[in-house]
Order: sequence, then C-alpha cells, then structure tokens
Amino acid sequence: MNLTELLKIPEEKGDNCKMPAEFSQLSNSLPTQRIQKLIDDLYSVTPEIEAERAILLTESYKQTESYPTIIRRAMALDNILSKMTIVIRDNELIVGNLTTKPRASQIFPEFSNKWIVDEFDTLAKRTGDVFLISEDTKQSLREVFKYWDGKTTNELATELMFPETKAAMEAGVFTVGNYYFNGVGHISVDYAKVLAKGFNGIIAEAEEAIAKADKSEPDYIKKHQFLTAVIIAAKAAIKYAKRFAELARKLAAQTSDAQRQTELLQIAQNCEWVPANPARTFYEALQSFWFVQAIIQIESNGHSISPMRFDQYMYPYYKKDISEGRITQEQAQELLDCLWVKFNDVNKVRDEASTKAFGGYPMFQNLIVGGQTVDGVDATNELSFMCLEATAHTKLPQPSISIRVWNKTPDELMLKAAEVTRLGLGMPAYYNDEVIIPSLVHRGLSLADARDYGIIGCVEPQKGGKTEGWHDAAFFNTAKVLEITINNGMANGKQLGPKTGEFTSFTSFEQFMDAYREQMKYFVSLLVNADNCVDIAHGERAPLPFLSSMVDDCIAKGKSLQEGGAHYNFTGPQGVGIANVADSLMAIKKLVFEEKKVTLAELKEALDTNFGSCEAPKSGAKVNLNLNNLTQEALVEAITKLVLEANKASLEDLQKSANIKVDLGSNGDKEYLRQMLENRAPKFGNDIDEVDELAREVALIYCREVEKYTNPRGGRFQPGLYPVSANVPMGAVTGATPDGRKAGEPLADGVSPVSGRDKKGPTAAVNSVAKIDHHIASNGTLFNQKFHPSALAGQTGLENLSALVRGYFDQKGMHVQFNVVSRETLIDAQKNPDKYKNLVVRVAGYSAHFTSLDKSIQDDIIKRTEHSL
Amino acid sequence: MEYEKNAKGMVFDIQRFSVHDGPGIRSIVFLKGCPLSCHWCSNPESQRPEKQIMFISHNCIGCGRCTRACPTGALTFNPSFSLDHEKCQRCGRCVDVCFSNALNMSGEIQTVEQVLQELKKDNLHYRRSGGGITLSGGEPLFQPNFARELLKGCKAKGWHTAIETTGFAAASVLESILPWVDLILLDIKHMDGEKHRYYTGQPNQVILNNARIMGSYGTPIIIRVPVIPNVNDSIREIQDIAEFALSIKGVKELHLLPYHRLGENKYQYLGYNYKLKGIEPHNKESIRNLQKAVMEKGLACKIGG
Repeated sequence: MNLTELLKIPEEKGDNCKMPAEFSQLSNSLPTQRIQKLIDDLYSVTPEIEAERAILLTESYKQTESYPTIIRRAMALDNILSKMTIVIRDNELIVGNLTTKPRASQIFPEFSNKWIVDEFDTLAKRTGDVFLISEDTKQSLREVFKYWDGKTTNELATELMFPETKAAMEAGVFTVGNYYFNGVGHISVDYAKVLAKGFNGIIAEAEEAIAKADKSEPDYIKKHQFLTAVIIAAKAAIKYAKRFAELARKLAAQTSDAQRQTELLQIAQNCEWVPANPARTFYEALQSFWFVQAIIQIESNGHSISPMRFDQYMYPYYKKDISEGRITQEQAQELLDCLWVKFNDVNKVRDEASTKAFGGYPMFQNLIVGGQTVDGVDATNELSFMCLEATAHTKLPQPSISIRVWNKTPDELMLKAAEVTRLGLGMPAYYNDEVIIPSLVHRGLSLADARDYGIIGCVEPQKGGKTEGWHDAAFFNTAKVLEITINNGMANGKQLGPKTGEFTSFTSFEQFMDAYREQMKYFVSLLVNADNCVDIAHGERAPLPFLSSMVDDCIAKGKSLQEGGAHYNFTGPQGVGIANVADSLMAIKKLVFEEKKVTLAELKEALDTNFGSCEAPKSGAKVNLNLNNLTQEALVEAITKLVLEANKASLEDLQKSANIKVDLGSNGDKEYLRQMLENRAPKFGNDIDEVDELAREVALIYCREVEKYTNPRGGRFQPGLYPVSANVPMGAVTGATPDGRKAGEPLADGVSPVSGRDKKGPTAAVNSVAKIDHHIASNGTLFNQKFHPSALAGQTGLENLSALVRGYFDQKGMHVQFNVVSRETLIDAQKNPDKYKNLVVRVAGYSAHFTSLDKSIQDDIIKRTEHSL
Repeated sequence: MEYEKNAKGMVFDIQRFSVHDGPGIRSIVFLKGCPLSCHWCSNPESQRPEKQIMFISHNCIGCGRCTRACPTGALTFNPSFSLDHEKCQRCGRCVDVCFSNALNMSGEIQTVEQVLQELKKDNLHYRRSGGGITLSGGEPLFQPNFARELLKGCKAKGWHTAIETTGFAAASVLESILPWVDLILLDIKHMDGEKHRYYTGQPNQVILNNARIMGSYGTPIIIRVPVIPNVNDSIREIQDIAEFALSIKGVKELHLLPYHRLGENKYQYLGYNYKLKGIEPHNKESIRNLQKAVMEKGLACKIGG
C-alpha cells in the first residue's frame, strides 16, 4: 500500500463530500497480500499462556497495600502498560499487542487462579481450546498465585453466597461461572468520545470534576480516589501508545525495506498522536480505537468487549478523508482488514469446564452495522458495507459481525449480508430493530438511547458507552427445574427445592404447571442471590478505572462501573432449555392427561431409569440377527462393539448397528414409551400452535420471575434466552426428560427448537420461534438456523435468505443467525481436523474454528437440522 | 372467488420453504398418483393413487407390536420384517402403534380447506419473497377437480400459483385448470416417442400437444428436463428438446435437473426394485456442456430448479 497520501498532514477543507449513489459499487473486492500474510502469521502457532501481566500486576499490588483499591487497580495497570513487552508484528499497520506471541493469553489472578494450577498439566492436552504453557511460566505463576490466596473476587463471592445457592449450583440448576471466575467485560465504551477528545480530553474532564466537587461532602473522598485513578489509567494508556511510537521508529531505522520504513514511520506518527489527542484521520481513528480495545482487555479478562456501532462513529473520519482525497476506498479497506485481523490476536484461557460452555477461543467482540440513527433515520453508510467486506476478506471468527435490520434497511445491505452469510462463517447475525428498540424503552432507556443500541457479546442489546449490563450473568437450566419438579423438589437425593407434590399425585396438567412455576420462583431467587454476591465481589475487589473512564456517568458520579457508576445498570441471566421443557410439558399434557396413553407412574419410572438404559438387561433378552441385509462389515462392527466396548454399548446401541434386532424385555417397553414421547406429541419448531404456545409460556415463566429483581448497582435484572454453548454441559447434568430426551443429552439451544425436531423446514421453525415473546427477553434471544449451501445458491438464494430474515422479523423475532455448511463437510472436518483448520462455524452467539471445539459441541452442531433441498 | 372447500384429494406431502420450484419461497403440495412411472422417479411413493405403507428399517426398534396389531396377518417379523401387499388392507393400525416411525402411511385424503390452512401458515414468507404455491406430484392433473379447486382457493388468497406437471392429461382437464395457474413447470423427458414410452411407460404425443395448448394460453412456461445418464444426456437429445421448447409460445427458459439418487432409499421402503441402481450422477462439467448446448439454440438455461 502506498502511504504517501496518508502521510499528508490533514488540512481543513470545505464540505464537498457526496455519498455514492449506489451502495452496490462497494462489494466483492479481493484482500491485499498483506492481509493473508498477517492471517498466516497469526495462525502459525498454538496459543500459549504468558505470565507477564500476572507478574507485573502482583509486583504493583505488593507495593500498594496501603492504598484504596481503585488507586491500586490504576497503578497496577500503569505498571503493566509501562513494562510489558511490546511488539509490532510483521506487516502490521495497526499496532498494539496484549501478549508477546500471537493469540496467547495473559493470566488474571485477581479474579480466580486455583483452577489454573489444577489444570497446568492438562491445558495442552484437553480436547478443545488448547493452550501451551512452559515450565518457566508455570513456576512464575505458582509464585504469583501465593500472593492472591484469599484475595480474589471468586473467594469473596463464595464467602457471600447462601448455602442453598451453592447447593443449587452444584446440582446444575444454574451457573454464574463466567463472572464468578473472570472479569465481567460485556460492555461497549464510548469509543466516539476517545476518538474526538483523546485521553488528554478525558484527563481534563476528570480534573474538572475534581475541581468542581464539593470537598465538604462525605462522597468527595471516594469520588476523588476514583477520579485520580481515572487520570492514572488514562496517562498509562498514553504512555503505552508512545512506547509503540518509539519502537516503530527504532524498527524503521533498522529495516532496509523502504516501503516498510515509510509504514513504520507512519505508525510512529500515529502512536505519538493518538490516543492522547483527537484523531485527525481515518487511520489515526482506527489506531486510537485499537488502543482502547486492547487496553480494556489488558485491564481485565472480561470478554465481549464490543465495538458495537463502528460504522457510525468511524464514519465522519472516513468521509472526511475520502472527500479531502487523503485516502482511497481501497486503502481504507486494507486498514479495516488489518484491524479485523488484529481482533483475532486477542485470546483468553478458560477452565476446562467453561470451554464446554464457551468453546472455540471466543472473544465475542461484537461489531454491528446498519440500523437507525438516534433520530430514527436509516443509518446505513459505505462503512456498513466495508465492514461486511472486511469479514468476507479475512474469514476469521472475530469481530463477531452483526447487522441491524428494520423496515427501511436497504435491500442492498441485506443482500451483502446474505452474501457474507453464504460464506459459511455463521456471520453476520441479524437483529431486529423493531423488537429491540421497544424492549429497551420498556427497560427504561430513552428513545434516542434505545435507537442507538448495539450488541454485546452473543446477542445482548445495550446502549454503548452508558451501560454496565452484566449481560452474561448466569445460565439457568429450566430443564433441570422441570426434573426437580417431577421429583418433588429433590435432586441427586437431596431436597433442594420446595415440596410441590409427588409426580404421581397430580390430577391435572394445570396442577403440574403450578408446581413447576413454584419451583422456578424459588430457584430464580437463588440465582439472584448468586449473581448479586459476585457483583458485590467485583465492586469491592476489582473496580476498573480505565474502563470506567469511557462510560457515562462514571466521571460525573465519581464512581466506577463496578460500584454503580453507569447511567444504565442491568443484570442479565439466561434461560436455557426452553424447547425441551415445552416439548416435555406437551408430552405430559397430551399423552398423560388428554389421551391417557401413559400414566404418571409409568412415565416416572421410565425417567428414573433413563428409559430402561440404567437397568441391567433382563435375563430373557436375546439378540436376533437379521441376516438378510447384514453385510459382513456390519456384523464385525456390531460384534466388535459388543466385545470391545461391552461396558459402553447398550443393547439399544447394538440394535441400531446394522439390522440386528434385540429383544429388550421390559427395557424395550421403556424405549417404546420413549419413542411415543418423542414421536406422538407435537414438538416446538414445526409451527404447531398447541406446543408453540407452551414454549411461549415456559419462556414467560422464566422471564417474569427474573425481571422482578434488582442488583447492587441500583439496576434491574432482565432475562435473556440464549445459551452460548451451555446447552451442552447443562444437558450433561440433566436427567431424562418427558420429551423423550435421554439423560445427559444436550438441551435445545437458545430459543431454537430441539436439534433435529424441527422437521417442517425453516419457515415453520421461524414461525414457531417468533411465537415466543421476544420483547420481554430484553437481554437477548438466540435462534440458530443451519443451511446447506444449495438452498442459498445464486442471486435467488440471497434474495430468499433475506426474505426469510424479513419474514421472521415481521413476526417480531429478535435475532437469527445461519450456519451454512454441509453436514458432510462437518463430519469430514471432525475426522480430518488438519484439512479444515480454517473452517469457521457459528456456535450460539459467536463464530469459532470448528476443529478447535470439543467433540460434543461438534456433534451438536452436526445434529442441528439441516434445511436444504 | 368461489371454490369448493370440501373437494377432496389424495395428498402425500406438503413441503414448506421450497426454493427450487418456482420463484421465491414456496410451499409445494404433492398430489399422489401419476400416469407415468419414470425409472428415475425420486418420489416413488407418488406413483400409485392409493395410500401406501412405507417401512423405514433403520427406525425399527424391533418391538413387534405391528405384527400383533395387523388384522390380516400381512405383517411378519421372522426372520426379518416383511409386508404382504396382497393381504394388506392399508388400514394403518400398524402405523398407529409404530411410535418409532418405522412404519409410515404415505397418502392422506385432505380437503381443499385443510390444505389451505396449512399453506396459509407461510403467507407472510410468500409475500416477502415473491413466492407462492406449487402443485406437484405425482401428477397434479391426475386429480383435476381437487387441483382446480385448490388452485382457485390459492388465487382467492392472492397467492402466486405454479404447477409442476408431466403434461400427460386430457386436453379438457388441462384447459379447466390453466386459468388458475400463473406459472407452468413442464417436464419434457424425451422427444423420441419410443424411448419416452420405454423409460416413462407412456408415449410423448399427448404431452407435446398439451405443451402447445399451454403455450396458447400465454401463461409463462419453464421447460424442465430431468437429465438422466444414458437416457437423454446427449447434446443432440437435449438440443431436440430445446428446439421444441423454442417452438412453444410462453417458454422463456429451460431448466436442466441433474439426476440424483436421493430417492433411492424410498424404493426400498416401498419394497420396490430400483431400476437405475449403480448409475452415477453426472459431473458438473458434463451438465455445463449440456447447458451450453441449450443456450447455443438461443434459449436461456439454468441448472437446477
């Protein structure tokens, strides 16, 4: 790229800019060679764990024992940013590293650390999200962790929780794991403010707030501490950038490549100016943006640091450069592509259990384009297209790209989005303005703020720069509560919930529903206790001054985000397993109470024995071979299974191999009952009102319970219905359910139907899912659809996909995303991961490299109904 | 618009989100019964006009309840499942007790109103995508009264209608239906009468005559050619069809539908013999060559529906 033009000092010019008449001119270019090189380098190594941040944090903490926590946090950040190893990677145009090696992970011992030591030796061997760790790093971390014993947010939260809460968590009713063990994240800061004022502007704002404050007020002391911490953190950020300027100059002096030298000098000039000062060019704005994005993720390991409406706040800089002839569209696109690669340099190590719920090294940096302005006018611009194009160019999981859709969204943008969808990256995710805006207004946002929403992490709507949303507060297992209701409040032999009646004693379906409602009410109250304890722990032990400096009203209130400084405060826990509960209730209603095909006692016995598979085979059971169609291979396979995996293979497995018929004795009756539950009661996802209405009710029971509560930051709880990939581990701890699901099998994902049960195709599935009340689930709903590429072939395919999205949104669905990849490809990728290193699929709210996922998640993705012709 | 709500027809499937049989997102109503019996038919259950039992062996859990439910002893399970079609009265009792869906009844008598109720569910998607309804089969013209009333019902709701037809019907039947059809997807398999008779069981004269009648109505027609290895896949054979297509008013394009084997297992479910066993589908290149050959004749040509 020729950067001579970029080196020009910006000059003021009149406004002679014109928007291009046709958006369609803006598509389908090829990425430059630089981009492929950056990607290749990024993925050339296995992610590692680095100890540098943990060491520098601890070094600072040891020196600041007598200071208030907020100041200690700021000083620790300053220590890290001043001393950590900085790197400018080959070919980079946007700089700022979090780790020395690409895609490595720093350690954040202040949140939790015991699990890291426990998993030192398995991190490199586990089935998904592998990290290498050297012996030296292990040794340094062991040393560092000694200091943190008893000082983590995790330990404080545990201390605060009720014993009942802990028991419910142990039984798998809910998990608050994400924030319990890590930073909170899940936020979008006011990027526009940093671009416009720079950190010098933020420092001035904090200084002015200190000057104006009434020093006689008792609040003043804490306010002063917070604002001082903001100033320390902002200065640390400026210092960090200037280190890059220095490094770039040094590298420029060393290189013999004239073009690279020019680039490095430009990088030096950028880093010298931003983020301290207001950005003057598009390039400076991008660099300033990246420093913000990087430092937030050095300060804390909370993920889902979401850029949100990037096409909006970046647009003025782009427009100005283009109209003043300072940059061409191609140059701007390359810079965007560079930034897109950079998003993938960020990584996070999680404990093994969490990798089951958050598989595929996800960072959830959600960037959304399109939608409407605060004034309710369509907001689509050239950058909206260029952002989608950058995703098409880089084909990487980050940023999680999304598109806002409303009635006035131009069809060109929909088609461009559909084109990207067809690449099979699982992106973009589509969001419906017509649901989200009113649902946020209902939660107390101003209309202008609601119109300016973006998406955090997976699917969570938020007004950026004003909100501490705590969006990923917990996953709540509604199917487990159903299991507990069937067991009169018992789980794993313990009385966990209230006694709401023996299952066999219910004489009507409504009675059973009431029991379920009562159990839900009880367990949601425990969930709230768990979340609030974790919330308080973060406020007390890990307030974040850097992050808080860019979110309103922290500076005005003189309070960190973690202590309630934000303008809007929420806590958003997610309900999981809605479709399983709905299908189960439908089976009970229809087969037990209406058609009387099975009694509650029979059903209970079948569930208790996992449909007979827990019982030893009856002595009368025998194997009959159907030799007619049996090939030798099938016979060998079946017998091998029987002999070699005798402990694993059940008679049913054997039966499924080839045409071998097994007389299952009384176990067979239970399997027959299971088949009845599965195939003789309507299932959610097929556009059948009877069961879809139950799904709506099940979702409402959860949502109405959650929205009753408040959090310690002065905000409200708001429910969401999405699972990330928690539906897999939550299924693993849930017994057999009356929908015919066996114990341990995954639960349905988000508001999607149970995998494989939506048999009437995508329109039926979207119609069913739209019958759930998405407005009340204001923390986000998630609907996955999987397509075979043939269903989307040609221009017609793009138009039909776009029509399907609009058709779903007409019916007030909130979110939809598509996996476009063939089942064969996925199966092959599972068998030959080496061939498919770059295969990206969408898992729940984010995209991940398929081969990096745990096998159980891979299986779940493969099973999702494939809608094609 | 008046239509007979209670007219009855034998339907074997309603497939939603169909995107290859006419414009936009469509629902296809599959009517059972067809005068042809093409060797490559991918819906063999569509051929007979009456209900049929299909046995999907891999769903069977071997419980044996079907044999006990059968009043005529048509079902046996020793040593493997078998169904005596002579004895079977298609009462469906075995299907009722088969919870694992190994036994399925193909075909159900439905009224126009019942079908419309189902079709109505995707109304919004037809509107958003410029889609509608396609009647297919079997042969939709084989149940002329039902097909006509159903099409009138669709038009009454303002939906775009298409029929996918072999064209094998009495001219009077065709003329009673065409006023309610917005698009015709007409299958032409072969221009050679003898080959046509051999592979489909019927001569092609009626079909070609009907094509001219359709043309005279001015309704847009898409000619669809299932391209079958060794049956009609030479450049010459395809160009013959293209030339005929060009002679019909209303024909705007021709679609080549490459042979596939996705329906093969259904032959097994029905206890039928699959005559094309072992035949490999075409590779992309040979289909593209045929496409070129059609376009050389001056007719737009698409691969797939």
